[in-house]
Amino acid sequence: MDAGLVVYALYLAAIYGLMAIGISLLWSSVGMVNMAHGATFAFAGYAAYFAAIWAAPLAKQWLGATDWSLPALAVFIGFVAICAGALFGIVIYLIAYLTIHDKQNFAVRSLIITLALNLATVQMLLWAFGPQQKALPRVFGSGRFTTLGMSIRVDQVVTIIATTLLLGSVLIWLRHSRRGLEIRAVMQNAEGAALCGISSRKTALPIMMLTGALAGLAAVLLSQNVFVSPTAGVTPLIKGLTIALLGGLGSVPGAVAGAVLIGFIEAATGAIPFLGQRYVLFVQFTFIVCVLLIRPRGLGGLLDETRE
Amino acid sequence: MSDKLLSIKGLSAGYGPLRVLHEIDFSVAAGERLAIVGLNGHGKTTLFRAIMHLVGWQQGSIVFDGTEIGGTRSLGEGRRTPGIVRLGVAMTPQGDAIFPGLTVKQHLDCGAYTKAAWRDRALRRDHVYDIFPQLKEREQAYVGKLSGGERRMVSVGRALMADARLYLIDEPSLGLAPKISQRVVDALIDIGLDGKAMVIAEQNVALLSGKVDRMIGMHAGHLRGDVGHVDLL
Amino acid sequence: MAPQQPPERRFFEVGRRPHEVTLKPDGAEVWQRGRVPLTKRHWLAWRGVSNPKSLRRERRLLDKRPLWWTIGLGGLLVVTPFLSDQAINIAAIFCIFSAINVVWTLIIGTAGIFSLATMAVVGMSGYAAAAANVYLGVPWPLMMPVGALVGLVLGGFLALPSTRLDGLYYALLTLGVAEICRVFVSQIKALAPANGSINQVDSFIPADWLLQRPGLLLGFFAAFALLLAALLVFRLINSERLGLLLQAAREDEAFSEANGIDYRRARLWVFVLSSGALGAIGAFYVMFYRSISLAVFSLDQLLLLFAMIVIGGLGRSEGAVLGTAIVVLIDKGMLDLGPLRIIIVTAVMIGVALTAHNGLTGVRMQFRNYRNRKKSERRAARTEKGGEVMPEEATEIADKQQVYYRLFDKRIRDRLKGQITPELIAEHKAKPLGQHSDALDRVLNYFRRGEMPDKYAILRVGEYAASTYKVLAFSGRPGHPPRVVDDKLYATMDEAYHAVFLLRVNDLLAS
Repeated sequence: MDAGLVVYALYLAAIYGLMAIGISLLWSSVGMVNMAHGATFAFAGYAAYFAAIWAAPLAKQWLGATDWSLPALAVFIGFVAICAGALFGIVIYLIAYLTIHDKQNFAVRSLIITLALNLATVQMLLWAFGPQQKALPRVFGSGRFTTLGMSIRVDQVVTIIATTLLLGSVLIWLRHSRRGLEIRAVMQNAEGAALCGISSRKTALPIMMLTGALAGLAAVLLSQNVFVSPTAGVTPLIKGLTIALLGGLGSVPGAVAGAVLIGFIEAATGAIPFLGQRYVLFVQFTFIVCVLLIRPRGLGGLLDETRE
Repeated sequence: MSDKLLSIKGLSAGYGPLRVLHEIDFSVAAGERLAIVGLNGHGKTTLFRAIMHLVGWQQGSIVFDGTEIGGTRSLGEGRRTPGIVRLGVAMTPQGDAIFPGLTVKQHLDCGAYTKAAWRDRALRRDHVYDIFPQLKEREQAYVGKLSGGERRMVSVGRALMADARLYLIDEPSLGLAPKISQRVVDALIDIGLDGKAMVIAEQNVALLSGKVDRMIGMHAGHLRGDVGHVDLL
Repeated sequence: MAPQQPPERRFFEVGRRPHEVTLKPDGAEVWQRGRVPLTKRHWLAWRGVSNPKSLRRERRLLDKRPLWWTIGLGGLLVVTPFLSDQAINIAAIFCIFSAINVVWTLIIGTAGIFSLATMAVVGMSGYAAAAANVYLGVPWPLMMPVGALVGLVLGGFLALPSTRLDGLYYALLTLGVAEICRVFVSQIKALAPANGSINQVDSFIPADWLLQRPGLLLGFFAAFALLLAALLVFRLINSERLGLLLQAAREDEAFSEANGIDYRRARLWVFVLSSGALGAIGAFYVMFYRSISLAVFSLDQLLLLFAMIVIGGLGRSEGAVLGTAIVVLIDKGMLDLGPLRIIIVTAVMIGVALTAHNGLTGVRMQFRNYRNRKKSERRAARTEKGGEVMPEEATEIADKQQVYYRLFDKRIRDRLKGQITPELIAEHKAKPLGQHSDALDRVLNYFRRGEMPDKYAILRVGEYAASTYKVLAFSGRPGHPPRVVDDKLYATMDEAYHAVFLLRVNDLLAS
């Protein structure tokens, strides 16, 4: 297997991991399946696009042809996308969580509401911007470089590194900070948390902003391969959902493992001559189906030492 | 009465069509340690939960340190509970309400939620370890794996971590072996109360008699003054 | 001088029975009640009662749903032929989608299996039927059985994982199945040479009628018949044995299993049968459009169907039809609005999900439950235990003296509770049978007036000379012996009397 393929697989795994971890985390802490993730993705993509259009000439002006113009633009666009994602997360919080979190049948109803939000957002983006795809400037590096005799794409490496750093810091933050402790407390015993003074309504907001931000980042990183369009979020949403379920809903290590597996499968399927890109979803689903039939609760059980 | 830390007037509470508390009048002064005794199902837990706003419905006035915290509908899911906790009321619920996946240290940190308490949480943790030395050895253990007595100690310790002025301890001896429940109760009695108050709900009168300032009986949702007045059969 | 008319008496309506429309037939008539042929069921659920106030025989309809169905569907049938071509098309699409949704409700509601493979089954059966017709020359009347058969087989395959996976995991699996089917079909060149679709399929609509008004009308009537068939299937499965078994399982799985209900097998049966029905609908779909394309597997279409059943309410066939009507009207009826109509559909979805627990058809029950809960909470907060009788209860009590007696009894008990003091008890202990003070006399008189179930007796144990005494409690029911209160033995009768007194006092204080 070509090293470029391995890098490509990890690149896909990084992006899908961002989506899947967001979904898994949200489910285990809030008890909600967020079908609006795809809409967050698309919304953040458009925000990044407009930010890029606005900022690119400025960057050229101020930083000229120095080496810093592209990275600065990249950071700025990434930042805008993350903020847009977080903003959308707040919207979902207000509409889907705050209104019915303590009422009957919350899981199904929140699923319906987020699905409706997804559909509505996609249609509104379609209406406002039309169905044409838009391309973000190639700020995350272009071209290839060769190390150790292998040719690797720069933007993929940048994505892998950025995602690993960010996700790593998020997970560390969850494990060691005060907010992270709150979130884990609410996850495990809502009444006990209330008695400690932790309000589950107030802790759900940062979680939703966080997962929205992760989706926004994924939108920007994937935009090198997938162009910004209203329906850009559909496939990542489905892949994110399937990986979250494959890893076991609620298990972050499972989601990571699932993302890596699916990334490799996608890369491999694309490379095998008689399969090709068309069969990617097919092969992935078949794989997931097989895994779920063997382990009905996903991979999570294998990785987590039973703590709960 | 302004010198009372907690004063309850005409509190009725229940779940759905079932009314558990019938117009209770009750007050606790600062520095007082009192016990509410009575059989299960007669309203001790409901009284505590009504103060914390966790019952189905409630009526009547609850004044804690000059602030009115009672209300008509508590909705049962604890929407107002964190606010009441921050005012200075800490409850150890019946059955512990622990977080199975967190360690003892993290549990105690959860209890120190307000900013002031969070800052000197290490100090407060040491204070709790002084009261319950066993927890010091099991600091990094997951509470889901601890025994019942240790869980009870974690639960009580968590309530002690906050800046609380009123401690409501619900059934500290429930489900524990006599020796261990004795230890837990002794630890509770040893806690100094200057400007604070502690109310313990207990079924086992013998554990607490003579060690608390006041003992009130609760029967069928009514408070019964000092226990022992109708010693039947 | 004309005699004064007595003033109009006003009657206040008390109680909670809603006003019912009742038929008042002539009592001498013989009541003819028709039955559905070949079964023992009646067409409508009439109940005859005798009205005690007006002394007339009345008949009321217990279940009014057949009326609403008849009005709704009958209205559709009668009105549609007079509408425009486009409206007839919309009505036909409504019927087809309703049929799919009704069967889907059977899967999600009755069987409780969260399956998203509906369109996959419909599509695959449609393709199979179309292929059978176009490539194998199967005549069009046999297309529906072919479709049903393929649906049954697919249902069999899909049913197996449903026992292993639960909820969302199974939903995901079925989502994947739709995608797998799409790729599978698009890759088999022999099946679908022209970009995945099969055209020129034979149908009950003659080729030259295809997009003309007669063809549209025929299509609509056939679709309406399909909807009726789907409703019949729903009724046969949901309200008969399989559905009733599964209803028990929906309430409490472990308990129903302990009662011997094999709910897993029932679920599989419902799933397979529903898939067969979906297969038949798939074949009809092909015949209706005279072609089938890959668009049948599209996710958007599936989500729209899901929106329909969700808006209507999961679990009831009325919900499926109502939801379909709303969404089809908005989606296909307001085409000129463009993407805005999907936004309206999603707004309706959000509105329904925010307010209703289970869709629009559950709103009435939800409101009634809410109102009852509020009423009972307010009543519990108002009344003291064992005292006043609320007006709602009063209408149920035949003898109104009971209402006053309960009030009187409560007042006496409250007074006596105040009179129980340690001195009183000591007085009774000293002289159980002797002369008593006024307060003790009143207490004892109240006790003596009590009903049998509240009373106690003293049992003499052992020989007369050296006997001890025990306290028993009467059960109050004929044929049931008294039960022993506890093991304490009393040396003298006086102690036993005092023990009984203390028990009665305790009961009084606790009441």
